[in-house]
Amino acid sequence: MTASIDDGRHPVFEPVLAELSERHRDEVLTAFAAVEHSRDPVPEAQLAALRDATLRRHLRQLLGRVGRTLVPVAGGQWTSGYTDDVAARLTADGWNALPGIDRAVLVLVLIHSVAIPRSQGLLGGDSWTSGHPTSADELIRYSQLPRGEIRPALGRLRAAGLVQAAPSRGRQADIGTAYLPGPALHRLTPAARQRLEHQLILAAAPESPLAAAIRARQVVPPDMDGDE
Amino acid sequence: MSDDDALWWARLRSGGPRPVSPDSAYPAGVRRLVEPDAGAVWLVPDLPDGARPDVLDELGLPGAHVDQRGDTARVLAACLRCCWTEPSGPVWPGVGAQLDDVATAFRSITDNRDERALHAALLGAVRRLAGSGWLIFDEDQRVVRLGPRVAMWNAAELSSLRELWRSMPR
Repeated sequence: MTASIDDGRHPVFEPVLAELSERHRDEVLTAFAAVEHSRDPVPEAQLAALRDATLRRHLRQLLGRVGRTLVPVAGGQWTSGYTDDVAARLTADGWNALPGIDRAVLVLVLIHSVAIPRSQGLLGGDSWTSGHPTSADELIRYSQLPRGEIRPALGRLRAAGLVQAAPSRGRQADIGTAYLPGPALHRLTPAARQRLEHQLILAAAPESPLAAAIRARQVVPPDMDGDE
Repeated sequence: MSDDDALWWARLRSGGPRPVSPDSAYPAGVRRLVEPDAGAVWLVPDLPDGARPDVLDELGLPGAHVDQRGDTARVLAACLRCCWTEPSGPVWPGVGAQLDDVATAFRSITDNRDERALHAALLGAVRRLAGSGWLIFDEDQRVVRLGPRVAMWNAAELSSLRELWRSMPR
């Protein structure tokens, strides 16, 4: 342990916390823990450092010290995610990328649960979460992925919070186990959500006018070409 | 503290604790855990009290999803019983334990299941815990060790775990 932590002053957090009163310091740290570790977005009504704009600025600074930022979620809630520049550097370095099979399964869940309902006008906004379940049997039956690898991939995606089991109540009994996009997708920043949407359009309809417009608008730095 | 430190913290969040060579540079605010053979050092983010996951309990907020939560906790307890041989001392690094010994400890705190179901639950939980840095699992040698995350338990948590350790059969 470094000496600066031993004496109670954390080298990463202290520069932001030093100017706060004891009470505000506790409130900012508690909000940090809540948005960083909670599985789901946190209602701002629950924590002073999410409600108060000044404390929220300190919280954002604190998150920035560890490569993170605050992400607003519909309904007066907050979570945290990687800042866009840090996410770009992690991606460019190939850091901890999901295995190809996991990415393929995640994309199929996103297409079934978000992209298709959104194109039908059943889902609004730009969020990648949804209440439209994707059946595991459907993934196995209709995808071209190796059958035996889909369920283990779903297990890993569940552990990462990228998919979640759909509640069985109110669902058709005949579709068996079904999945929804997971709570970790709330952590995407607006820019990351848009990048994901553009990548799906480019993959699903590369010849469409929309894809041409996205390509025309994209300014891709040479060192990131093809990494996303 | 620099932009590189922020990137390092993001890497550790994204990929979990990382082993690096002992002479590697390391970011501010992380704990360095030296392997017993001094061949590598684990980097683990060291959050201040009040910013750690235990705050979620006080706030009534849900933590990360864990498959088979009960069995996963029981297997971690069994590994602690086998690998933390001196509970009056530090919990990490502990010693390696044969998977069969962990299975015996797991069986002693588990309901009656047939051997096949028990083994499947054990192996699934060991792999899950190894994937998230709570255990280190040498699958070829069938040896389990405690992972670097256990070193981040604070004094109060270790005190509760010592009680648990003493109450478990071995």
